[in-house]
Amino acid sequence: MEPKYISYQTEFSANIVLLCRFLRSKGFLLTASDEITAIDALQHIPFNKERFLKQALQTTLSKNHFEYLNFEDHYTEFWSQLSKAVDSKIKDKEDKQNRASDAQKQQARFDALKSWLNLTPTEDEKVIASYSDLEVLTKKDFIDLSQEEMELMMRLLKKMTRKLSRKKSRLKKSSNKHRTLDLKKTIRQNLRQGGDIQHLVYSEPKEQKLKLVLLCDVSRSMDLYSRFFIHLIYAFQHAYDKIETFVFSTALHQVTSLLNNHEFDKAFAMISDRVPQWSGGTTIGSCLNDFITDFEYGLLDKKTTVLILSDGWDTGEASVIRQSMKSIYKKSKKVIWLNPLAGNPNFSPDALGMKSALPYIDLLASAHNLDSLKAVLKQL
Amino acid sequence: MKDIKLERIQKMLQDESYISDSAIAMSVFLSMQLEKPLLIEGPAGVGKTEIAKVMAQALDTNLIRLQCYEGLDSTHALYEWNYQHQLLHLKIQEQKEKDVSKLESSIFSDKFLLKRPILQAITQDKSPVLLIDEIDRADEEFESFLLEVLSDWQVTIPEIGTIETTHKPYIILTGNRTRELSEAIRRRCLYLWIDYPDFEKELAIIKMKVPDIDKKLGEQICGFMKELRELKLEKTPGVSETIDWARALASMNMKHLDKQLIEDTLGVILKDWQDIRNTQNSLSELLDKTGVVSRII
Repeated sequence: MEPKYISYQTEFSANIVLLCRFLRSKGFLLTASDEITAIDALQHIPFNKERFLKQALQTTLSKNHFEYLNFEDHYTEFWSQLSKAVDSKIKDKEDKQNRASDAQKQQARFDALKSWLNLTPTEDEKVIASYSDLEVLTKKDFIDLSQEEMELMMRLLKKMTRKLSRKKSRLKKSSNKHRTLDLKKTIRQNLRQGGDIQHLVYSEPKEQKLKLVLLCDVSRSMDLYSRFFIHLIYAFQHAYDKIETFVFSTALHQVTSLLNNHEFDKAFAMISDRVPQWSGGTTIGSCLNDFITDFEYGLLDKKTTVLILSDGWDTGEASVIRQSMKSIYKKSKKVIWLNPLAGNPNFSPDALGMKSALPYIDLLASAHNLDSLKAVLKQL
Repeated sequence: MKDIKLERIQKMLQDESYISDSAIAMSVFLSMQLEKPLLIEGPAGVGKTEIAKVMAQALDTNLIRLQCYEGLDSTHALYEWNYQHQLLHLKIQEQKEKDVSKLESSIFSDKFLLKRPILQAITQDKSPVLLIDEIDRADEEFESFLLEVLSDWQVTIPEIGTIETTHKPYIILTGNRTRELSEAIRRRCLYLWIDYPDFEKELAIIKMKVPDIDKKLGEQICGFMKELRELKLEKTPGVSETIDWARALASMNMKHLDKQLIEDTLGVILKDWQDIRNTQNSLSELLDKTGVVSRII
């Protein structure tokens, strides 16, 4: 089949390859076979309209929702950049009087394009270099992170949760494969047919599912941490199935489906948009109370772990928070309270809200850096 | 089905009363031409599954549907031996004392093979449409199993041998993004994102699906739905909800919307109690935007 593709090596297909490289620099994951598919697709479409070309490339080169929607912008940008790059190449050629060979020309064009686009091939090196900082990073308080480190941290979190979820899928696999015959049930069921074994009943180890309810404080006092936590939750939700997520400051909002259905940045923007009190004051007690009245019935049972992320600074009544915590504590398997302030060696839980909630917490953890967060995840 | 024209696909979708735009037609066209699976994603109720049904109808071929769910495994997707049937067969044969090897080959024959969707799809005489619905609900394990089938187009059954396909099925995968699909499966597919339709497209869909609807009512419904989707709802209603609603109102011989009517029938389009409560609160504002004048009672 190989020679087939060589015959397509025209100016145009070279441009498609350039487009693919351009898209890669924009974060698209494209392989050589994708390029082949794209070029292959082009020989099938009618060329009388430009949008056909765009649509064909869009459907072959984008692989997810995000890429699909951004494709048009990248596409337009590419062609305008390319035409500029080609112009500069033509000027070049006049000077050099056609001395460059075809290959060189192509290289020159790509270089020109590259400089136009500020394509820096050192991207990989950067990644490698920053990963060596990992050790330091895990001990650093979230507050002290620079923008760059923050991005790296996000990546780490993603990796961590992916690892966790993989653990789960392995469990499932083995249980599926080791189908063992349930003798007792098989005999009982077949007694009905006079004792001949006709139906075989298998059993497999029952899967223990992690059920999680996350309640995340997004008030001003938590501002520095909540972005992290939302990110963590986001990664979490995509790894596990049974997670319900709420954010609260002065009112409670269910954000599970938001996080499920959107890319992180969009989901985050929508959450802060929908929660008007984002980074406002906190009334933990009344929010927890809302949670109990509206959602407790469906969400809480003795298999559910409740994770509360808050610093415990409450502007409401202490008795309300105590009452609510009590009933959450009673109805769930475990209550874990993550308090970013607890990382401080001088910390004592004397914020009023924290104090009144304390008797109804199984585990109070700090989660102010990656190490402590890891420790909590192990407890789940 | 080589060398069909793009316009034909567009016409084909149109003929089967599927209102599409050119991006949808292009994706369907290319997936047929390049013999690659088409992965369709988008919010619930915008007609992802419908594409496969329409394709099957238009190509006059079978639609084989594999509905994915958590815990779906290869015995439900590929094949299974009909154990009970085999046992009975053996019992009957016992009296006749046939020789063992013959008996063995007879019980592992086509007759006792329960073909599940994927095996069905590759043993057809004419390329069928294989719809793998809500792939994101299946486990990752199943996903990788699917990769194997999608690349080789053959299934090995130890007792019989390898079954290779003669007519490659057209494959449509759909997903609601409940879970991120693996890069591996995305790489093998063409991709199409279908969003909520704009006003004109939705109106065209309603007219097609509910032909006897009052013209003004149809416009009002689409306008209202458009505004409703702008609200921040837990579960945004899709096109199928619009169609249901239009059908309901048309069957009541309504000519136009009003506040009371909307309040009474809100359950047709919204399926979440919080959404209903929120919408009821902002109904007047919504109606203003839509331009519906309430009757004065």
